[in-house]
Amino acid sequence: MRRRRPEPHTLAGAYVLDAVSDSDRALFERHLARCPACAREIAELREASTGLARAMSAEPPPALIQQVLELSGQIRQLPPATGTTTRRISRAARAQTRRMLAPQLAGALAVVLLAAGVVLGVVARHAEDQASAAQQRAHQIALVLNAPDAVMLSDRVKTGGSATVVMSDRDSALVFTTEGLPRLKPGRCYRLWLMGPAGDRPAGMLPSPRDGMTSPVIASGIRAGDRVGLTVEPDAGTSHPTGVPILLMPL
Amino acid sequence: MFGVVRAVVRDRSQAEEVCQEVLLELWRCATRFQPGRGSAMGWVTTIAHRRAVDRVRAEQRAADRHRRAASHEVDYDAVSEYVEAQLEAQRVRRCLSFLTPVQRESLTLAYYGGYTFREVALLLGVPEGTIKTRMRDGLIRLRDCMGAGE
Repeated sequence: MRRRRPEPHTLAGAYVLDAVSDSDRALFERHLARCPACAREIAELREASTGLARAMSAEPPPALIQQVLELSGQIRQLPPATGTTTRRISRAARAQTRRMLAPQLAGALAVVLLAAGVVLGVVARHAEDQASAAQQRAHQIALVLNAPDAVMLSDRVKTGGSATVVMSDRDSALVFTTEGLPRLKPGRCYRLWLMGPAGDRPAGMLPSPRDGMTSPVIASGIRAGDRVGLTVEPDAGTSHPTGVPILLMPL
Repeated sequence: MFGVVRAVVRDRSQAEEVCQEVLLELWRCATRFQPGRGSAMGWVTTIAHRRAVDRVRAEQRAADRHRRAASHEVDYDAVSEYVEAQLEAQRVRRCLSFLTPVQRESLTLAYYGGYTFREVALLLGVPEGTIKTRMRDGLIRLRDCMGAGE
């Protein structure tokens, strides 16, 4: 008996749960490509399926993380996609939200952040026993990266390179990383600030980059109306920004 | 991510293999990630779950899987000791308990068991059309409940 093809539209729930055969998936994805209402529905249903995943969250074995980090050094990343399809999606998405700025630049950073989240999640478990400052910071970073309300923003830096922020309103904190910032003259450094109605507050110095990326810096105590700013300052440090911000990102 | 893969794949060493593949795939494709299309964590779990499901489907003969289904229970004990994750997990489980039995079973059999909606329909003895609707309704109710708890 030949099975009747299902009406693609009714497959949304099953699709989100991965409860479709390969042929049904292909059928639905073809439909999805020209049904904006379905795309919205899928995004909403995904919130629920991500919840199902969270109900099962468990820590990965540290050996797995170590292996992945080692192997990732040997694998070449794909160049950013430039096909028309991707460009069309990204242009539409960019119109929707400023969060789409520099999507291809944000990608590599996003994965570094996620990997950091996974790795730090493991570190965090030990933080309660041995509460060194570094471990507490790692714990805080893991909390923000894994927060249920975490959102990711990215923007270009005026002098070159890009910055990515993962922010959680729940924790009033953000995690900040950069990629491809120009190298500074000796005696100068990049400093991060929270700038808003509550005044400009220092949020730390960016560490020196590794492979062009800076490791995550956490800034907590975000208040309403704050923006995150980046300036170039003397190494000695200042309590207020003296340089013109080369990045000013509304949160 | 490791938790959800292990829930689906069951076998710990296979789960590690799948996770490793997924993490490396993420690394390789990172430059093509579109942040505007959803949260990064959602992106990762979506890919990981899909790979886990592919793995169980490829590994197991249908007969074997049907036998397992008879005693399919979600292994909640596998849940993390990490307090933050535990609270979140409890919240999701509480929301699951508010669904109708068919909604709940079609979600857990599909998501944690890796079954297609046709297989779920067979297992529960409910028409395919009904299962598709229950899956969608169940997800919507789950999402509303999770949102209300925040």
